[in-house]
Amino acid sequence: MSNINGKVYAMNAITPMKPWKTWVVRAIFFTLGHVKSLQQDLINLSFIEFARWVVVPRQRFPYLGNGQVKEDLKYDYLLFFSNFNGTWNQYIDAFSAVLSNGLNLVWRWSEKFPGSVPVTLFKEYIARVQFDTDYYFTAYPHATANDLKSAHIVQASLDSLVQRAPNCTPEEFRSAYLNFVIQVQAHLGDTGEAPVIF
Amino acid sequence: MPNQNGSVYGLTILSPIINDERATPSHDLQIRNYLATVPTGEGSPFALAPGTHLARLVVMDDVIYVGSPSIEEHLHSKYLVFESNCDGDLDSYLLGLATAVPQHLDAIWSHCVGYPGAANPQAFAAYMKACQIETTFYFAAVNDKSVPETLRALQTQRAVSDFIARHQGMNAALLQAEFAQFATRLKSEPLPASGSMGPLRGLKTGGRNE
Repeated sequence: MSNINGKVYAMNAITPMKPWKTWVVRAIFFTLGHVKSLQQDLINLSFIEFARWVVVPRQRFPYLGNGQVKEDLKYDYLLFFSNFNGTWNQYIDAFSAVLSNGLNLVWRWSEKFPGSVPVTLFKEYIARVQFDTDYYFTAYPHATANDLKSAHIVQASLDSLVQRAPNCTPEEFRSAYLNFVIQVQAHLGDTGEAPVIF
Repeated sequence: MPNQNGSVYGLTILSPIINDERATPSHDLQIRNYLATVPTGEGSPFALAPGTHLARLVVMDDVIYVGSPSIEEHLHSKYLVFESNCDGDLDSYLLGLATAVPQHLDAIWSHCVGYPGAANPQAFAAYMKACQIETTFYFAAVNDKSVPETLRALQTQRAVSDFIARHQGMNAALLQAEFAQFATRLKSEPLPASGSMGPLRGLKTGGRNE
């Protein structure tokens, strides 16, 4: 079991919801999905590579026959999966500090959710509803979400310079190269082993 | 479509695990035992098959009781959760897995109810889709780049950083010539392996990060 691979942490959480509340959550996510400006805080939390919420209605747990007993549940369930950089504490602290309104909007419909502020009760709740990852893969264990964004900026700038370079005089090239360096200089952070966590 | 964000697909699969009291060890434990032996780096089945950015496999033993006054309830089956963030088209992705790493898929999913095996990729894809749950909300920090494009970009970032450091203050004509060679060399370099840590660069990392 490992929730960590390189610089990424895999979090899994499951919370019960009364079935009628599921529709409220669906409406909230529908709005969030279609109004991009509402995702700004999530984008600003630039240590999240991928995250998802999945509503599993109580009658929709996969049933395949072959002797499987059909589930008989009272609650619908909200699954949350996140792939983030840094430690569990840093993640929950940042979530609570930056996204408290958004998180409350999503999770207040789950049973016994205490609110995302104060953070101590929020952490206690997340620790209770979290379950561990048995196998975790990332194609880029040495890179963070910011590294990925930066790498694509460097690639785009380089492609542009490569295209332009053959048509430049040496002086024109020097000027274009300096502009290139200015464009990419903030995006050359080193990737590699994750910091040691004590 | 909530499963998709840009060109990235958020696949969520819950496969019911066979509940057989006579099995020793139990099927869920056999999955866990096997997963503990599967490489997570460049030898990972998800590195060998195309298209996976990040993926996880989790045995979900039960739902969680959050305390009174909520109702305590339990699942009849344990579920194998497969969460994958992959490139583009779902059918191509599933068929790619079945073609590239059937032995791993069989070793894992053969403990799940109704699993048809990966020898028939079409049947495998149909089974996975039968177990799929639609993602309700999906966020991707980078949603318009494939795995090879990202691996290439990370390689470029490292190379550019080294090139800039080595060519400071060089005269314009030489710089232009060296840059042209650098661009050609970089283009012809093989793509770094998915799941690898990249070349060691001798830089120190570490420190408290709690």
